[in-house]
Formats: sequence, structure tokens, C-alpha cells
Amino acid sequence: MTNNIRVERAIKNITQADLAEQVGVSRQTINTIESNRYVPSTVLALKIARVFGKPVEEVFKLEETD
Amino acid sequence: MKTRFLFPYYFKFVGLALIIVIHFPIIHLLQLMHVQFDESDTSLFNYHHVFFVLTYVMIVIGLLMIAFSKEKIEDEHISQLRLDSLQWALYLNYAILVISLIFTNGIDTKDIMKLNLWVPLVFFIIRFRWVLYRLNRSLN
Repeated sequence: MTNNIRVERAIKNITQADLAEQVGVSRQTINTIESNRYVPSTVLALKIARVFGKPVEEVFKLEETD
Repeated sequence: MKTRFLFPYYFKFVGLALIIVIHFPIIHLLQLMHVQFDESDTSLFNYHHVFFVLTYVMIVIGLLMIAFSKEKIEDEHISQLRLDSLQWALYLNYAILVISLIFTNGIDTKDIMKLNLWVPLVFFIIRFRWVLYRLNRSLN
């Protein structure tokens, strides 16, 4: 699964720490999600998408290998 | 995210304090103070048994507190890492158990029990802390 959280963050101009605070996780977790080392739960994915005001599928996308 | 069955964050320090306190040589201090114990007592709750139970139970409680207290920020990634570490700890524990069964002859079962008492928890704590340390380092 790929994501464009980094891009969306740049658009909204918020840091990893800001995003982490808004969805209620640690900064490390946001960092690992951004670098594709951790796949968030559905709840967390929905929360992140809500922060950006977009549907989940615009933030997280399936890969060929998934 | 709601996490059940975890102690509050400060329990980590309570557990640590407990482990440190229990390693004070209380038995030697008592001997220095010439406190006499009835060595011939063989009932279940004789002096040696009570001392053994107290120290071991305290060590286990201390380790449990350190191992299963919440992190400052508790989230789903942390709980996944915790479960991963727990799995590794169980693997290692059973590996040691099997190896000790194969390569020893007539081993004292009490020794295996004593090993089992702390190996999974200590390895779990070390592994979990190491993963968290690596995670924090990757941020910088």
C-alpha cells in the first residue's frame, strides 16, 4: 500500500507532529506510515484522511503486490 | 486507541524500584544483626520458603510492571511492536526450554522453573525497548 501523506501534509502545511496530535498517535507512527513501514488500521487511515478532508482512497492506494 | 490489560505509565518506575529494592542483601543484613532463624523448621511456610517466595514473587511482579506498563503515547503501532516482541520472547523461551531438555540429563526441574520465571519477560523487555529505541532513532 502506498500513501501520499507527505504531499498532503505539504499542501496543508502541517508537520508530522501536528498530524500525529490531530489523529492521536505518536510522531513515530506517522513517520513509519509515511515511509511505508507500517500499514495503519482502517480507523487510523480514516482519521488521517479526515484531517486532509479527502476520501481514504485519495490518501492511501493499493499496490499491484497487495 | 483503547488498550486493555496494561498498567499506567508510572508503573514502569514502580517495577524498576521493586527490582532494585529486592536486590538489597536483606538476608545478609539480618545475619549481621544476629537474627536467628529456626533451621529445623520443615513446615510449608518456614523461613526459607517464605523468603524464597517473597523474593521471586516480587521479581516477577516488578518485571511484569516494567514489561506491561503503557508508553507515554500509546497507539496501534506500539501495540503491534509489543505483540511482536512478545512472540519473539515466547519463541526464545521455548527454544531454551527444548535445548535444555535435550542437552541435559536429569536436570533439576527447579532450575528450569527459575529460568522460565524471568527469561520471557526479560527478553521481551529488552527486545521491545530495542525496537522502540530504533524507532526513535529513525526519526532523527
